[in-house]
Amino acid sequence: MRDRLIGWSIHLASVAIGVTAFLYPFFAPALPQESFGMAHAEDAPLLLTVLVGVCFAALLVEAQRQAGSAKLVALLGVLVSLNALLRFVEVAVPGPGGFSPIFFLIVMTGYVMGGSFGFLMGALTLLVSALITAGVGPWLPYQMITAGWIGLSAPACRPLVRMLGGEGTWREVVVLALFSGIWGMVFGAIMNLWFWPYAVGPQEQHWQPGLHWTGGVLRYAAFYLATSLVWDAMRLAGNFVLTLAFGLPTLRVLRRFQQRFLFVYRPSEQVSV
Amino acid sequence: MIHPVAWLIWLGAVLVVLTTTRNPLYLAVMLAVLAAVLTRLRRVHAEETPRVPLSPLHFALIVLPLTALFNALTVHVGRTVLLRLPVTWPLVGGPITLEALTFGALNGLALVGIYTAFVVLGYAVTVRALVGLIPRAFFPVAVMTSIALTFVPVTLRHWQAIREAQAIRGHRVRGLRDHLPLFLPLLIGGLEHAFQLAEAMTARGFAAAAETPSTRRARVVVASGLLTLLAGWLLQLGWGERALGGALMLLGGGEVIGALWYLGRQVPRITYRHTPWRARDLAIALAAGVTAAAFLVPWPGLERHSIFFYPYPALRLPEVSAWLLLALTGLEVPLVLMPAARRLTIAPRMSAGDHAAPHAPEDDRRECSRTVAERGDLTESRGMATPRPLETATAPIETGERL
Repeated sequence: MRDRLIGWSIHLASVAIGVTAFLYPFFAPALPQESFGMAHAEDAPLLLTVLVGVCFAALLVEAQRQAGSAKLVALLGVLVSLNALLRFVEVAVPGPGGFSPIFFLIVMTGYVMGGSFGFLMGALTLLVSALITAGVGPWLPYQMITAGWIGLSAPACRPLVRMLGGEGTWREVVVLALFSGIWGMVFGAIMNLWFWPYAVGPQEQHWQPGLHWTGGVLRYAAFYLATSLVWDAMRLAGNFVLTLAFGLPTLRVLRRFQQRFLFVYRPSEQVSV
Repeated sequence: MIHPVAWLIWLGAVLVVLTTTRNPLYLAVMLAVLAAVLTRLRRVHAEETPRVPLSPLHFALIVLPLTALFNALTVHVGRTVLLRLPVTWPLVGGPITLEALTFGALNGLALVGIYTAFVVLGYAVTVRALVGLIPRAFFPVAVMTSIALTFVPVTLRHWQAIREAQAIRGHRVRGLRDHLPLFLPLLIGGLEHAFQLAEAMTARGFAAAAETPSTRRARVVVASGLLTLLAGWLLQLGWGERALGGALMLLGGGEVIGALWYLGRQVPRITYRHTPWRARDLAIALAAGVTAAAFLVPWPGLERHSIFFYPYPALRLPEVSAWLLLALTGLEVPLVLMPAARRLTIAPRMSAGDHAAPHAPEDDRRECSRTVAERGDLTESRGMATPRPLETATAPIETGERL
């Protein structure tokens, strides 16, 4: 009970910090204006990066605690390599718009194996695929935490699935397809947020210091509609179709192996010689 | 070999400069420095070209016109009007100005610089060294990352084998569902492989660490630190309490970092080959730190107005500060201290586990280490090496022919 309480506190606080960090542009009263419009001239990006980094590190240490057995470590390593390979294929043969096949397996594993497993699956997939495709950049920490959130939130579908008829039915796949499709859009919206205050462009689409949060939301909506909607819609459609097409057999396979990976070895506290 | 941490500090300083300034002269100097470092690294590691989707030059050819045109078409501010588009055209209608074109191009230059800096990092630091930098508190993550990186070529071979087997059976990919007979065997094979790997790891003593009262206390400190940090930030954002909020944020951040440091201390770690921190690494880190501080911190008495070049409302010549130019030379230190390229003469055949002959010169051992890393050697943690797949562990490295 106490363990669960500590775990929940870490999860909730770190997710709250992460969400606040991404929503910072809407709440920030005014970023420094020394640079006459170039808000990123001061320490705001540094602060955001540090805060996102701290909450990511806390989530990571909590998630890895729950996936610390040899079986789960090996399973995650192999699944991450498989998913990273899909990203590699995507880089070599780009899909339409923002479509990427990696989200499918993140949602599936998070849903079947649990939120912590899904978080690690999402974060490490982005890390490993960035390493093998030379995609390491300032965007990587934000991508890792957002992809981690996808896996972390996947078990939230379980109550809805139970309500609609339970496991192994086509309704389960539809729920997961909708979930991964929605995350396809949300992923794009979140990834835009970290650089939006520092981008340049038409005034009615870009962040301005001192703007009320409602004005900020409206401007971001205009920016998103103009620059990202079509791109992210491809990701939504791709995730939805991929889950519908591959969802049921993949769920069966993952559930079959879940039984074999359930038990763990722990070192004995009292060793008798 | 320059220490990976020194390269990371250098990269941080480059990012600070590139995100801080839009002065074209400083940006030009930065790009020249980055080009020089990249050219030198390419010479040093001529035979170890990392896979880069786009060269910095190609990236620049795509990004520069795009950012300049996008800004010119969407920002109708500035006195020097080049042409006018009908105002009835949505978004792009209005005057197209030289100032907007220039500012877009300057943003593009900064993006090119950031991209080039990460390409430099790809040349300078091996994947194994990057994985080795993962802090001790995250050792399971380091092991997972090592396994994943090692299994990428294995999974690729598995995929090719499945594709060939299905093709022999007459399987043709015509639609999305036709990928299922390829994907499912790959997934099942990977999971079986994971099971075997887990058994091998368990046989070698890898086990989940049991939670002790001290690690539980550390987790409580992490939770309390996060809540304190969140409270401080909300105080700053919602109520404008900058001093109290900032103090709480510092306290919370310190609690989290301290707890993570403590958790890391509980994990014994043996490094097979320790990369020493030499005087030249310290020099690179210090010089980069000075450059970053010059652009970040408002030092009393020193002019930094020239950092914030802004072409609106009318384009003008950028100002330059001699001491900021001098500070930028701090990023050139790796050029001076980087070891020269050498041709290697290691014994022709050596197993991956051997790493390097004990009598080999130091540079040879370093180069051999890079080669082993690229073939998928694993991070060692908890006093044991994580098992490697058979293909990687037994394949000899033909260093004599390759190097």
